[in-house]
Amino acid sequence: MESILKMRGIRKSFFGVEVLHGQDFEISKGEIAALCGENGAGKSTLMKILAGVYTCDSGEIEYKGEKLGPNITPMDVQRRGISMIHQELNLLEDLTVAQNIFLCREPRNRIGAIDYKKMNSDAKTLLARLGEKIDPTRKVHELKIAQKQMVEIAKAISFNVELLVMDEPTSVLTGKETEILFNLIRNLSKEGVATVYISHRLKEIVDLCQTVSILRDGTFVTKKNVADVTVKDIATLMVGREVKESMASDYNGNGEIVLEVKDVSDTMLKDISFTLRRGEILGFSGLVGAGRSELMEVIFGIRKPHHGEIILEGKPITVKSAIDAIKANIGFVTEDRKDTGLVLGRSILDNINYEFWLKNRGGMRRRRDSSKRTQDAIKEMSIRCTGEDQLVSNLSGGNQQKVVLGKWLIANAKILILDEPTRGVDVGARQEIYRIIQNLANNGVSIIIVSSDLPEIMGICQRTAVMHEGRLTGVLNNSEMSESKIMYYATNV
Amino acid sequence: MVGIKKQQSVGEILVRIWKNYSIVVVFFIIIAICGILAPRFLQPNNLLNILRNTSIVGVIALGMTFVIIGGGIDLSSGPVMATSGAALIFMQRMVTEAGTPVYPLWFAILVCCLIGTAFGLLNGLIITKAKLPPFIVTLAVGIIARSLVMYFGRGATIMGNRIIEFTRIGSGSIFGIPTPFIIAALLAFLFHFILTKTKFGTYVFAVGGNENASRYSGIKVDRIKIYTYMIVGLCAGIAATIEMSRMAAVAVTTSGSQYEFEAITAVIVGGTALSGGRGRILGTIVGFVILGIVNNMMIMLNISPYLSGAVKGSVILFAVLMQRKD
Repeated sequence: MESILKMRGIRKSFFGVEVLHGQDFEISKGEIAALCGENGAGKSTLMKILAGVYTCDSGEIEYKGEKLGPNITPMDVQRRGISMIHQELNLLEDLTVAQNIFLCREPRNRIGAIDYKKMNSDAKTLLARLGEKIDPTRKVHELKIAQKQMVEIAKAISFNVELLVMDEPTSVLTGKETEILFNLIRNLSKEGVATVYISHRLKEIVDLCQTVSILRDGTFVTKKNVADVTVKDIATLMVGREVKESMASDYNGNGEIVLEVKDVSDTMLKDISFTLRRGEILGFSGLVGAGRSELMEVIFGIRKPHHGEIILEGKPITVKSAIDAIKANIGFVTEDRKDTGLVLGRSILDNINYEFWLKNRGGMRRRRDSSKRTQDAIKEMSIRCTGEDQLVSNLSGGNQQKVVLGKWLIANAKILILDEPTRGVDVGARQEIYRIIQNLANNGVSIIIVSSDLPEIMGICQRTAVMHEGRLTGVLNNSEMSESKIMYYATNV
Repeated sequence: MVGIKKQQSVGEILVRIWKNYSIVVVFFIIIAICGILAPRFLQPNNLLNILRNTSIVGVIALGMTFVIIGGGIDLSSGPVMATSGAALIFMQRMVTEAGTPVYPLWFAILVCCLIGTAFGLLNGLIITKAKLPPFIVTLAVGIIARSLVMYFGRGATIMGNRIIEFTRIGSGSIFGIPTPFIIAALLAFLFHFILTKTKFGTYVFAVGGNENASRYSGIKVDRIKIYTYMIVGLCAGIAATIEMSRMAAVAVTTSGSQYEFEAITAVIVGGTALSGGRGRILGTIVGFVILGIVNNMMIMLNISPYLSGAVKGSVILFAVLMQRKD
């Protein structure tokens, strides 16, 4: 096959630390190539260099036989037919769906004004290709996160695209939406469009891609035909060692009930009751929008229920705000690290200590004690950083997540709620996070995991509650779990 | 990589100093330029005079640093200063028939500071409970405060009595250093301590950096914000005390006019991010002293006072440009 893109010897440093050490990457016309590697392996950086977001320190990029200069802008790159979906959503929340899709390329009418009619109908056609019925005149901030992602994808294919780069496009999508996306990619491939597909969900790679290129610590490891490898092979190549599948079983302890939720209802939730025992790992499955995150927000005091009771170790408690929950030793690792989990512009030390400081008396930070706690957490969680004063914004996704976990460890949480704890986290760090969760449970911490990733639920949870449209539709022990059973309750058919 | 401190080269140390203290470097460059343009500028008397004159806005700027780091802004400080100053004057000029003051001076000063703080509380409460943008709330409260002074002063200047011990606050010196600057310096030390060593200071940074994450972390976001507005209100009260001590009068329409903008300018020139979450007291000190120097140089070089805005604007742009982080 004729190659469409060749990247050779790409080097890039940030703050004096080289993250790409002479990276090579190649893709042919119509190829669906997976790019795999742990967080921080350099996948996103490499693609951002291609997109003109970053400039590489050295190396060359050849696209359709033509060299792309170092001063190329994202706009030039797009004009040449390279389209990219970044890991983070890049939509303007206050503009409409159609305005976002055609940003800077708005169709004009005869007098040069924007032709909204054409823009909206074009947007509608594009979205229909993705099986979405979103009204193109709606503002983006009104959309659910999965819909936003579909808008992002529609935007990417609205260009005359020849090379499509997708960085974790499915992390917020459900199974059905993912299937539509995959079919679209396969059809594009038949038309000769090459796709670079980055994902931590290795099963998707095996399902969708033809080849897989593996990066480790900023260097190219190998490129293989997907037909020749298994999920386990890819995982092993990525981390450079054997990856153990975590195996959970039924809860067999006889710990007392630490948390009892009784008849919690509000606009979204309908009469939810469940119990959690000491040291238990309880999953919450369901489709996006089933009300799982909302339920967790009620327990954590962010959302006020209309009625219902939360009973902690036999005593009813009222949680009016997060601090009440924190003082009751409840911890919450939220779904959206950047918005609700971390203050990105502050240091690791600050972020790790907020809860501890709030829970304990006294008005001083006590730098030395705080520093010691932070060092402990960095060691315990094996957070990769330059030091405790490093800004959290400069850490990779997996390490940021470890900082969030670390703060609850230090705050001595007895009940820990984790909402999508491994979203955007690579295989290696994911295993570490599972190990941390398992350790916490063994030490008597009760854990609730909200996850849309079924293998994750089945792999680590001893029991799972399944929700559908604000109702609890079923509870399964680990030995009873299967993907089809969980989906049966989640769709409530 | 975990927790290992690398041996740093001289170059790296210089880079770090530039990163953290570029504002101080800019400050000395400005002083050097001024010294060359007008040698009289460097005379100790002149320098001390600058510190005295700039300290009133400086005190407000110190409080403003909290509000801006916390992600807010206060446009009411100038009028609030005039209002609390007017209260101080009213109280200090009340005398009994025997000619002795009705209220002791300390009590009048205390009331003045409390009025400033109360306006801060009002600002904070409206902003957090009614969930309105600080820009609009403090603008409106400022307009109200200004109108109240004008009403109580019947549109004219409110004249007070000259009391020697009171005058000393604004016009006196201790060991040759102007008292107003000593007050500002003490406040600066206190505020620096609060921002860097206390939990409260940490939470102010957190709230300004990411309000949502702060709320999920259990920080009482509303309370922290209200406190920051109360601090700048208190500072307006302290500034009023100094100003009244020097003037012994409130010109109802012009007293404290533009002070809020000068204070915000000083904070921004000092490198505090207007978007919140980042900033330092040291920067604010340098910021307001630079503004004082500019005012002083205008007189030294005999430049038309009408051009002072042009020069100040350029200084802001220059200072902010110098500390821009790529």
